[in-house]
Amino acid sequence: MFRIAIKGILGRKARLILTSLAVILGTSFLAGTSVFSDTLTRTFDNLFSDVFKNVDAYVRSSQVIEADFGQEERQRIPLSLVDIVKTVPGVKNAVPDIQAFARIIGKDGKPIGSDGQGPPTFGTIGVEFEGALWTIADGEFPVGPTQVALDEASAKAGKYVLGDTVKVVAQSGSREFTLVGIASYGDVRSPGGATFALFDPATAADFLTKPGFIDAVLITGDGSVSDAKLAKAIQAALPTTDKTETLTGAEITLETQDQIGSALDFFGILLKTFSFIALGVGCFVIYNVFSISAAQRQRENALLRAIGASRSQVTRAMLIESLAVGVFGSMIGLVAGIGLSKGLSALLRALNIDIPSGGLVVTTSTVQQTVFVGTIVTVLSAILPALRAGKVPPLAAMRATALEVSEPGRKRLIGGLISIALGLAVIVMVIVGASNSYLGFGILLVFIGTIVLGPIIARPVALFLGRPAARFRGITGVMARQNSARNPKRTSRTASPVLIGVALVTAVTALAASIKGQIDDVFTQQFKGDYAISTNNRGFGGLSPSLATDIAQLPLVEGATGIGLVTAKLDGKGQYLTSIAPETIEGIWNIGLIDAAYSDLATDSIFISEKIAKKKSFTEGSTISAIFADGQSRTLTVSGIYINNEIGDYILNKGLIASTSVVTFDIGVYIKSRPGSDQKEVLSSLTAAVKKYGQGDLLTKQQYIDKQSGQVNQLLGLIYGLLMLSVIISIVGIIITLLLSVFERQRELALLRAVGMTRSQVRTTVRWESVITSLLGAVMGIVLGIGLGWVIVFALKDQGLTSFKLPVTPTIVIMIMSFIVGLFAAIYPAWRATRVNILDSLNTN
Amino acid sequence: MTPQTRTVAASTLSASKVYGSGDDAVYALNDVSVEFFAGEFTAIMGPSGSGKSTLMHCIAGLDELSSGSAIIDGTDLSTMKDKALTELRREKIGFVFQSFNLVPTLTADENIRLPLMLGNDKGNEEWIQKVISTVHLNDRLTHRPSELSGGQQQRVAVARALASEPRIIFADEPTGNLDSTTGAEILTFMRKAVDDLGQTIVMVTHDPVAASYADRIIFLADGKVVNEMTEPTAEKVLDLMKTIGH
Repeated sequence: MFRIAIKGILGRKARLILTSLAVILGTSFLAGTSVFSDTLTRTFDNLFSDVFKNVDAYVRSSQVIEADFGQEERQRIPLSLVDIVKTVPGVKNAVPDIQAFARIIGKDGKPIGSDGQGPPTFGTIGVEFEGALWTIADGEFPVGPTQVALDEASAKAGKYVLGDTVKVVAQSGSREFTLVGIASYGDVRSPGGATFALFDPATAADFLTKPGFIDAVLITGDGSVSDAKLAKAIQAALPTTDKTETLTGAEITLETQDQIGSALDFFGILLKTFSFIALGVGCFVIYNVFSISAAQRQRENALLRAIGASRSQVTRAMLIESLAVGVFGSMIGLVAGIGLSKGLSALLRALNIDIPSGGLVVTTSTVQQTVFVGTIVTVLSAILPALRAGKVPPLAAMRATALEVSEPGRKRLIGGLISIALGLAVIVMVIVGASNSYLGFGILLVFIGTIVLGPIIARPVALFLGRPAARFRGITGVMARQNSARNPKRTSRTASPVLIGVALVTAVTALAASIKGQIDDVFTQQFKGDYAISTNNRGFGGLSPSLATDIAQLPLVEGATGIGLVTAKLDGKGQYLTSIAPETIEGIWNIGLIDAAYSDLATDSIFISEKIAKKKSFTEGSTISAIFADGQSRTLTVSGIYINNEIGDYILNKGLIASTSVVTFDIGVYIKSRPGSDQKEVLSSLTAAVKKYGQGDLLTKQQYIDKQSGQVNQLLGLIYGLLMLSVIISIVGIIITLLLSVFERQRELALLRAVGMTRSQVRTTVRWESVITSLLGAVMGIVLGIGLGWVIVFALKDQGLTSFKLPVTPTIVIMIMSFIVGLFAAIYPAWRATRVNILDSLNTN
Repeated sequence: MTPQTRTVAASTLSASKVYGSGDDAVYALNDVSVEFFAGEFTAIMGPSGSGKSTLMHCIAGLDELSSGSAIIDGTDLSTMKDKALTELRREKIGFVFQSFNLVPTLTADENIRLPLMLGNDKGNEEWIQKVISTVHLNDRLTHRPSELSGGQQQRVAVARALASEPRIIFADEPTGNLDSTTGAEILTFMRKAVDDLGQTIVMVTHDPVAASYADRIIFLADGKVVNEMTEPTAEKVLDLMKTIGH
């Protein structure tokens, strides 16, 4: 039987290629995303493992607060510890280290380096140290409060030469320095696209963080003791009151890599999710192809049965074929995926998410995973068709071709309806109050039910959708309509991938439309100012707190307030908190305080959102313990509860933050101009003030609201991009099915050609069948997608989403796109159909 | 009817069809010149491989000659491109094949009108109704091929061939897949189409009984016309076939 299977494969190369195509596409995305993630991780790993390559020990604070997304905030240590470390036996040299936010402003007044999610912009200490990778390529290391050195790439980008005055923005504001050195990092001009400004230790502490404090001490040993012993000795020598910890060079390198890894993990998971969706869509195509080919080989299989092959042998032959297709397809998919990962980088770059370029990393696990998953998925998809192939009665060999035309049965109807009913029940439970985590399960059940019902729905819907074609396209349209309805199982299997893709796109679009609508409403309602200064930096750097105070001084400005983010442990759990200045925020942001005023926010109190208050049953007067990065525990009293949590769920007084050693930035400055002032003048005075800091985008209220929506668009773009592959697989699915149908209908086509159907009429028939199939998937997908979107929006009502917005225009666009997809998918099959040899096809029995 | 008054509906002139070249060349048709007359029922007979199907295919515009010419209604087919040939088949030729004559997704009525609909032509309704009643299909028009018997399917095929009032109808073993009673029925309809409706039919067959329905029989062997017979009977045909070694 094995030999028969192999002969079967080789005998029909075209079929092998078509079946493999679905596997190739599915696995290529899996491999592509895997290679892409690995490459990204490796690039950053290299970058950061180099940092501590020559460091033998590393001293830092043991006080740390961890928040979501792997962000952490660590306390600083006194600069004076460096001198203590130097006295420890075995230490060759020790230098202070600071890695903080600093933005270099170019000669043209524009910041160097990418804004937002791109590589970071660092300020650091530059001193002569054999453990550091920084060396001075030109000039010297900076000494004193007015000197700076820049990395080579940044100096070049800013068109700076030695002796120039360089403006740098950091947490404490902006300052001007004299460029005294061009530094290079190992043998790289600029590591991973990051920018670096180097200062002497005291200046760095003063300008970048907090005078007298540093992030860490870098130590080299004299080689007399092991790194582990050295670290121990240093730790023992340090005063316990300073709460420090000492790591070996190897430990700190490993930890850094882990941190980078976990930050990239989120992205990797996103990519994986979409690649599995694509693979799932691919399953349908594989299943469909095997089903069709089993049907087309019915007589061949019946003959095998008639001459003595057992059921299981027929089934096994088909499974062996699927195994071969799986292995073959996955291996090509792997190669294609490596190419695809390059495309992904380009896609992300187009979306303004900059990633460093480097050699592609293809790990053994990527290879194993791709081939394994691809093969398993293929064989699984082939099981049902293979079992069906085995069930062919030997008598079918004598019968005229009875291709799969079995009417969908009762079992299918009942099964599908039960699945949908169960799914809806779960969704209703969630709506009534069950946990949102059941939502996915409910949605999945509805999807499965819809797909199970597909063959039953397909016929009437295809006939309905085919009406215009039949009406306006004459006999070719009539035949296209009939063809799309003649085998409802096949049509619905072909349309299912389209359905899934369209449903997801529609749901995401509906969700985005609702979020955007919400943003519009909320900001119009809550933001009472006229202008906003925003930054794309989140978590690392931001706007200098002095920007808001500077702007408030402007004559045409009635008020300006800055809002910042800070991490702290609240009742033991890391959280992002919003910091505000109660004295200036009044009249600019309306957060909907219930029975409280901004003035109630003292430096020992906290405001919490209504949502959190309900969830954790806090009331006014409750107390929360908070630990900031300085490690001290404070008890905060809830002094107000507010409704609109757009700016965050916890709000603190900036005065409280100032009393800790925590460095904070503002993420936004919000401005109200004096009533009646000329807006042009206001704008120009604001522009001048912002320019002085060289950072932040000045936006009008409307621009600010649009920008918030724009972020949704950016995410939407990314998701659309990732769903593209599912769409491509659906298109390929249609192409494959049409090709197999054309092959199956050769005699019919030959007959039509003989009695006078022109080639262009043949093409029209195939084309409209394709369009009807594609639209069938789209219509069902849109219905499902809108329902799905509504459910998600409903489930997110706790997150502040209140109204569902129907994405009317996108729905129309999706329909038009599906129409085009249908036309496009038909090109090759239609051409094949016109090439049918009339005489050969008519003469074969 | 005297030969002088007969009109030629289709003809070949030195028609040859060669497969392969040089020493391996096989002649399916070897210098065949033959005429088919309007208003007559002509049968082409011959043993397997005699070239009878090839001859029909070449005259009907389904296949190309290697040399010589095939002419229908005064037009030389060898000069025509695919599109023109397709239109010629649609408008001037009717076909009845041995099996698989009908499009399974279309009703009997739609199948009958298929060539007309493909040409965006309404056709002559009176004529179509006449054809339908001649082949006794009035109560089967809304059925699909899978709901019709083999004989009914062939009747639909005959009706389709007639529906567009073609210049000539080609039938390729139209009764080959039918039992003798049903076959006789179909042949009677074809005979009627010639006698009552004035149509021209060329039929390829190897069945002497079927051939005996024709006005004239052309015998082919090894790609050449070897004999001809008018007013045939099954017995006369059988006798002749023995002499040419069928």
